[in-house]
Amino acid sequence: MEFASLPNPADLLELRSTRIALFELSLLALTGGLLGAFVVLRRIAFFAHAAGTATFPGSVVAQAASFSPRVAALGLALGYAGGVERAGRAGRDPGDAATGLLLVAALGGGVILASDVFESSSSVDRLLFGTAIGLGGADLVFSAAAAALAALGVVLLGRAWTAVAFDPGGAPSLGVPAERTDLALLALVAFAVVAALPAVGALLTTAVFVVPAAIARLFAGSVRTLIAIGIGVAALQGAAGLYLSLWLDVPPGPAVAVAGAGGYAAAALLRAGR
Amino acid sequence: MSTVAAHGLSVGYGSEPVLTEVEFEAGAGTTVCVLGPNGGGKTTLFRALTGDLEPIAGSVDVAARPAYVAQTERARLDFPVSALDVALMGALGSGRWWLPARRSDREAALEALERVGLGAQANTRFGELSGGQRQRVSIARALVAASPVLLLDEPLGGIDPASAASITALFSELRDEGRTLLVSTHDVESARGFDLVLCINRRQVAFGPPAEVLGREVLEQTYGSEIVVLSGDGEPLRAIAVQHHEH
Repeated sequence: MEFASLPNPADLLELRSTRIALFELSLLALTGGLLGAFVVLRRIAFFAHAAGTATFPGSVVAQAASFSPRVAALGLALGYAGGVERAGRAGRDPGDAATGLLLVAALGGGVILASDVFESSSSVDRLLFGTAIGLGGADLVFSAAAAALAALGVVLLGRAWTAVAFDPGGAPSLGVPAERTDLALLALVAFAVVAALPAVGALLTTAVFVVPAAIARLFAGSVRTLIAIGIGVAALQGAAGLYLSLWLDVPPGPAVAVAGAGGYAAAALLRAGR
Repeated sequence: MSTVAAHGLSVGYGSEPVLTEVEFEAGAGTTVCVLGPNGGGKTTLFRALTGDLEPIAGSVDVAARPAYVAQTERARLDFPVSALDVALMGALGSGRWWLPARRSDREAALEALERVGLGAQANTRFGELSGGQRQRVSIARALVAASPVLLLDEPLGGIDPASAASITALFSELRDEGRTLLVSTHDVESARGFDLVLCINRRQVAFGPPAEVLGREVLEQTYGSEIVVLSGDGEPLRAIAVQHHEH
């Protein structure tokens, strides 16, 4: 394997497509930093991952039916969020095993459907791993809406989310309607996951919504710091991933995920050394 | 007039009751010790009083939403919150949980921390405090909620003597302010300092003033074989509950 020579980082701003990709990843960094903090604190990282994967078969079918894949994905992700909240309210936490089963079924079913729908595997790759190059205005608008909703959610519900995550059993006695605030968090995460699909794909949404917050969690002493560090890490991870993608000529989604994983390893080593 | 009452209460998980025949009333400015062994139904009773569990039979009547102080061993010590952040959570019950905290909420939280002797630790991370200090922060959170009824689940369990003394003194202050306190414990000796004692072991065994309730027969029914009674002239001078913990 031969590596190309290192590109100039300024090249990221040269091309319109990479500028748009950088802007998209910055919007996702904002959303991921804001919601990721509560995804990690509320321990719903597996939900964030599953919500992305659950959209895969729906996106395949929607493409075959010339229906909007985004609308189909949104319906599936929000439906999944509602199902998880309902199960939790009924005292039947779906649990990791059920979530794992959903992941396998969604992934396997999606691939089988895709084999009949698509003539080439590149479309499947795009649905699973995204492509930040070639994003359109609608993608940016959807991501901006997700960022705005995430910001609004944190301003209005951040205190309640923190209290519920800190003491889930005691939250009702504090006067916090934990079921409703949980549903709001799950719905916002589901919406944000759908916004991230074009850039990072159904399989790599955790790179945006879990990894930066998990890195920030190693150092943050308050929820505000957790959010601030998470946004910063997500932005750096996005830029680094895009740069890797440009250098190695690979899709940006996996490159962003690798950058995040490398960042976590470095942060964990740094934390252990303190 | 009672501020907390249970009438013919049976409560449990699903349709299976784990606590039955609960019948008591407590008025304003009263401290009630809920005494019983581990697994006897103390936390279940509190969950019924907070409305977290629906009665299977009977009813509970609480004058206002009670402030609940859970056992601190349940707390997540790695959580990125300070003592002040935790105390501020008590202000969420004011009906403005969807908005940022007000200055007055912050002042109330600081005042509550001062009251439990932790004003200087307001900005210390919750997980870095000792067990007793964490318990006091949880009580501060309940104070910020400003409820006339406080439910405290094993607040004196496994904490340092200084914190225990501070918390016990606070109970008297809160009673003098007219609040009703229900405090669960399995420590028979500490029960003697309360106005009333409610003995439970999957059912109500007895309820009344300590002098009437804390006799050998009631204690033996409450704790079964888990008690050693060191008696004087027919009445227990000292009773020690032997708690078995699963490992």
